[in-house]
Amino acid sequence: MVNANADALGIIFPNSYDDLVPELVADRLMASIPFAGRYRMIDFILSGMVNSGIDNVSIVVRKNYHSLMDHLGSGREWDLTRKNGGLNIVPPFAQKNVKVYNGRVEALASILHFLQYQKEKYVIMADTNIAVNFDFDDFLKRHIKSGADVTVAYTEEELPESARKSETDNKGLYYTLDLEDDRVNNIKINSKASGVQNFSMNIYAIEREVLIDQIRQASVRGYVFYERDILSPHLVTLNVRAYKYEGYCARISDMGSYFRENMKMLEDKNLDALFRSPVYTKIRDDNPTRYMTGSKVKNVMAADGCIIEGEVENSVLFRGVKVEKGAKVKNCVLMQDTVVKADARIEYVISDKNVIIGEGKQLKGTDTFQVFVEKGKTV
Amino acid sequence: MAKEMIAMLLAGGQGSRLYALTQNLAKPAVPFGGKYRIIDFPLSNCVNSDIDTVGILTQYQPLVLNEYIGNGQPWDLDRLHGGVHVLPPYQQASGSDWYKGTANAIYQNISFIERYDPKYVIILSGDQICKQDYSDFLRFHKEKEAEFSVAVMEVPWEEAPRFGLMVTDENDKITEFQEKPKQPKSNLASMGIYIFNWDVLKKYLVEDEADPQSENDFGNNIIPNLLRDERKMYAYHFSGYWKDVGTISSLWEANMEVLDPEHSGINLFDDDWKIYSRNSGMTGHKIGADAVIENSMITDGCRIEGEVKHSILFAGVKVEPGAKVKDAVVMGGSVIKSGAVVEHCIVAENVVIGEDAVVGAMPSEAENGVATVGSGVFIGKGAKIGPNAMINQNVKEGEEQW
Repeated sequence: MVNANADALGIIFPNSYDDLVPELVADRLMASIPFAGRYRMIDFILSGMVNSGIDNVSIVVRKNYHSLMDHLGSGREWDLTRKNGGLNIVPPFAQKNVKVYNGRVEALASILHFLQYQKEKYVIMADTNIAVNFDFDDFLKRHIKSGADVTVAYTEEELPESARKSETDNKGLYYTLDLEDDRVNNIKINSKASGVQNFSMNIYAIEREVLIDQIRQASVRGYVFYERDILSPHLVTLNVRAYKYEGYCARISDMGSYFRENMKMLEDKNLDALFRSPVYTKIRDDNPTRYMTGSKVKNVMAADGCIIEGEVENSVLFRGVKVEKGAKVKNCVLMQDTVVKADARIEYVISDKNVIIGEGKQLKGTDTFQVFVEKGKTV
Repeated sequence: MAKEMIAMLLAGGQGSRLYALTQNLAKPAVPFGGKYRIIDFPLSNCVNSDIDTVGILTQYQPLVLNEYIGNGQPWDLDRLHGGVHVLPPYQQASGSDWYKGTANAIYQNISFIERYDPKYVIILSGDQICKQDYSDFLRFHKEKEAEFSVAVMEVPWEEAPRFGLMVTDENDKITEFQEKPKQPKSNLASMGIYIFNWDVLKKYLVEDEADPQSENDFGNNIIPNLLRDERKMYAYHFSGYWKDVGTISSLWEANMEVLDPEHSGINLFDDDWKIYSRNSGMTGHKIGADAVIENSMITDGCRIEGEVKHSILFAGVKVEPGAKVKDAVVMGGSVIKSGAVVEHCIVAENVVIGEDAVVGAMPSEAENGVATVGSGVFIGKGAKIGPNAMINQNVKEGEEQW
């Protein structure tokens, strides 16, 4: 951890990739999707920024952001209640004929005035569809040292199926990079290529003044997407460099990956890697989890506030989950305050917040297709 | 702006009978119940009773406590006017002094109390586990038009001689006070929780300070003086869970009672009366594929690969494969290495119990002690710690301590 503040401000786009998990964002946005027992997706990027000395973070929200506002509050848990900088949530400005922004360019255009008056020299931008313990300090240092105009982080991995299936203009846009050394010379959009790719994490470092300039020009031309409309056409003149990230990262690209990435937390090495440095989240003041006599638990990650009387195997339990006597839970991801009533049996189920699985009920999905139970529903 | 009632929390106790656990921290800072410290109980009670101004009187080893309390945010006690304040003894123009007794500690902070111009002051003790609604206590105090009220618990008659006892009439008016008497006339034990009208308390504190013979103690001086002057004194009956965790065995017992809320009455799962604490910030806990968990409380950051039965594990405890933990209280950050057996004992924070070491023993006819391992201690491989041992220094490999 550093005391010295980074000379960069953070901008987070919490609605990016909402479309990929429509079930989970019915009442929320990507950033507030619960993940890994007691966190929300935004906690990872936000904590990473704070741990790297970035203490001026703007979150440009688009829609469905009540749950995010509730989660972030004044930003105290992330140590972002600062007089200078701190947490800055920017909702769409209510005006007649105002439209909700679509791409990154429009989002940035809406905070252009704010950006002009900040003191930091650099800007770090990120989405929230990746849970990652990212070292922004190292990233920024590399950006400065390389003399690049823009630095983009990427991983070497295969594209998720949803990306290869998607059409360019609806679902989220995926970017893969063609590199020469670390210079980006081509950005592919929603590539259909198979095998390992240089898969952009959409984490950027750029000088603030340069960004303001780019956005100003782009917004007069009516551009929408930062990568497609600003970076991609100008790779010859614009020095865009790539930063390979080799640490742990959990990318949410559909329900299947949401399930798998949660399940991967059951392996110590993954958990240790993702929580390499502290990740902060909203405190709920739950009591410790209580395992009653007669409970059987195997290979489980659980947050505080759970009461376990039945059997649980290979599952991730969020805060306040209750598993009653005789109930069996196997290969499940159960979000906050899910109640599994007596003698119910569930397997391969993802339950959203406040779900009740009725007494004796049975619910079974499969390894490749999990049953999802919507927020607040009773089965 | 005047406050109706503020709280003064006596937290200066050394807790010498907790020995290995209070070498480096004051008794109110001793961890309890998986993720709490003892002081979380009175502080949470205050907030849940709408008391937003609390002075914490510290003296012995205050560093851990100071850091833990911080600005009071976890208890919602970071307020513009009021909130929580840690009050160590300080130097004044007239000289400086340690807190000579409980009454003197309050006397030295008269000016703190007067800043809030309260009508009532509640005196709390920082070493009890108790969920109590102080606003109900205040309602009683006002109803009786009392000048002094004390919370009392009915105790079994045979145990009464161990307590300070209040003898009352049919209207709960106190007629006599007996401090640990041989022949008890009452079984109403004082819980050490008092409500005073501030003007009355202030008068008696000043008077007590002027008396060179006084021990400056509430039980020994202030209360007898109030009785002498026939002040309006009442006893408020409290019947919930209350435990003074002043000894190793009572601390262990109270922790075990948390595992049996149906019978013991200490329910931490009460959404209407939450106990707040400073959060460890660790990730959720993990139970391995071969772990066995029975009737236990486990919190954030724990990694369990071995066997845990009827135990309370605090944040970040690791139990390696093949290790056995039974009837034990294991505090934050401690590691139980594989093959170790930890039974019927208290293991403090950041302890390492080496491979195949044995700590404590289940009670038998000859022995029923609760072994205690102090914070930061390293217990070597294969070492043996007897059921009555109090360890606060590293124990070498294979060594035995009884």
